[in-house]
Amino acid sequence: MKKNKPKIGIFKYSCCAGCEFQLIYFQKYIMEVFEAAEITYCKMLRSGGNENGPFDIALIEGAITEQWQAEQLKKVRSASKYLIPIGSCAVCGGVPAIKNTEQEYEVQKRVYEDTSVIHSVKTHSIDQYVKVDGYIKGCPMGVRDLTEMVISLLMEKRPDYLEYCVCVECKLKGNICVLVSYGEPCMGPVTNAGCGALCPSHNRGCYGCWGPMKDANSRALAEQFKKMGLSKEDINRRFTEFGQPANEWKAGQIGL
Amino acid sequence: MTTKKKIEVDYLARVEGETSILVQLDHAPAIKLKIFEPPRFFEGFLVGRKYDEVGDIVSRICGICPVSHMTTAIQAVENAMGIEVSEQTVVLRKLMSISQIVASHLIHLYMLAMPDYYGYAGIVDMQKKFSKQIANLMKMKEVMNKLTGLIGGRALHPVTHIPGGFTAIPSNEALASMLEELKAIRPLAKQVVKDVSRFNIPDFHSDSEYVALTNEREYAVNEGKIVSTKGLNIAVEDYYEAFDESQVSYAFAKKSVLKERTSFMVGALARLNNKFDRLQSETKTAANEIGFEIPSNNPFHNNLAQSLEVVDGIKRCIQLIDSNQFKDGDFRVKVRPGAGGSVTEAPRGLLFHWYKINRKGILEKANIVTPTSHNFHNIEKDLKKLVNENKDEDRDRIRLLCEQLVRAYDPCFSCSVH
Repeated sequence: MKKNKPKIGIFKYSCCAGCEFQLIYFQKYIMEVFEAAEITYCKMLRSGGNENGPFDIALIEGAITEQWQAEQLKKVRSASKYLIPIGSCAVCGGVPAIKNTEQEYEVQKRVYEDTSVIHSVKTHSIDQYVKVDGYIKGCPMGVRDLTEMVISLLMEKRPDYLEYCVCVECKLKGNICVLVSYGEPCMGPVTNAGCGALCPSHNRGCYGCWGPMKDANSRALAEQFKKMGLSKEDINRRFTEFGQPANEWKAGQIGL
Repeated sequence: MTTKKKIEVDYLARVEGETSILVQLDHAPAIKLKIFEPPRFFEGFLVGRKYDEVGDIVSRICGICPVSHMTTAIQAVENAMGIEVSEQTVVLRKLMSISQIVASHLIHLYMLAMPDYYGYAGIVDMQKKFSKQIANLMKMKEVMNKLTGLIGGRALHPVTHIPGGFTAIPSNEALASMLEELKAIRPLAKQVVKDVSRFNIPDFHSDSEYVALTNEREYAVNEGKIVSTKGLNIAVEDYYEAFDESQVSYAFAKKSVLKERTSFMVGALARLNNKFDRLQSETKTAANEIGFEIPSNNPFHNNLAQSLEVVDGIKRCIQLIDSNQFKDGDFRVKVRPGAGGSVTEAPRGLLFHWYKINRKGILEKANIVTPTSHNFHNIEKDLKKLVNENKDEDRDRIRLLCEQLVRAYDPCFSCSVH
């Protein structure tokens, strides 16, 4: 273990700040690991702090929806050893990326009378602007991968993140498949695990809040939804609620 | 004396979201809350989405009050489509909302507000000297989050709550053990009131109109009429007749005012000022013990009001669980076109959602007005008065007072812009 405590910077872009609150929720699990590290920049937790780093880990919450965020993000990247997006907004665009399905101006003018002062751009995930060193998925982000990441850093080992779909967790729980048995349109087969198959365990289909699983076969699931009688629009909505910018769900977004 | 005085807090720490405060005392005097939290356009992209996704989507407006947005939106959808829900659903919603309000207040009081009063940058730096308070905070927060999660599947962005009711009901066994945990933290809650009463709260008074939701039966959370300390008394359906929201040039949040009147305050203090008599008797006793007099026109007292709601909320959760038996029930939702809104008490005050839905269940219009938009104008009004009364103090003192005042309102800038 290193003598100097690793320095952590936490940055928030366009999001609900829930992942930062999640850090507090997980306090009892992660206090031990976080005592071995030092949070040197986190606006929600403390005044002051140096946003210029340097950081051993920069945790990035939220998606990029404005130019200044992209510019700052690049600076953070160059001042950080590891940079890791936390939560769906940062990892795959999340809910703020729903707006990407329409022209930016159309969305802007529904909300603001005077759009001349609005400078938003389409929603991008963090890895569309800078190189990232892993992903902490979830909406809100999950504790398992977060602790895995911090422990790996402290022990200088390669982190082992969850990289399978929700179905695996659902089977391990012994749930009856809501898709096959109850005909619920479930996003479980294409969604990254980590939630513990929360929705199917509570009698509803997964709505994909952890974002795409690596190598997801979204075309096959979209075909299945079509067979079940879902309209093109309904299929499209399911594949754009979380992770519109992600390639893994593009085949589903066409809506067949 | 011609000292130039311009104070700018360029990124206010320890609040939810992003804002700066501009205080300019000479030249062209101005005091502005420049909310630069980027817009995410929820009201824009909700158009074209389906009624049954709305709760899941809007919960992502806020990481500290997701239950409020979800519940208000679902109730608005139900009002628009004419959906009736069971009494059990109403009770479960109340439990989720109250547990979230208590958890949110705890975070605000200890992690965001308290460091100011003891000269710390943040709670991490207070660990040594305030270890007992922090341990209590964590214990209480854990129990309240557990209750929200027991009903919602998880505390942050719950999954069981959909238009018409809940997809899963917690077992009575789980609720019974929850009851024990709630009872165990009651003494800690009383300590919260004592902790907060030790804050050196500035002696500042401001004539404001306090607006809250109220009904005859209880300390209203999710249903009632909108009333104020200056005679407002309207049904939720008449929201647009009384309130007006407009864009301002220097902030992405909109500013809400009462038509033909002016700014107003919502939140814990506004609730106490309007419906103190509906609190539990032990909460009233706790208020008396610290000499808290109602009505109060000191916005810094919002912190005290929150601490009293912590005591009240825990007791109410105990009563609600104790006096109800919960059972699984089936419900069906029929898609019907219509428009409708809902108002609830979020931790930070009055929250309004309104939707227009077509015959296919697709949203055609969406409008969301958050507590911080409701408070926006009043925060600036109070900042002006506070700065004026303290303009001879040094810059650092004025800056601290301004920061403390904004934090006392417990603003949520992610919500305010959404």
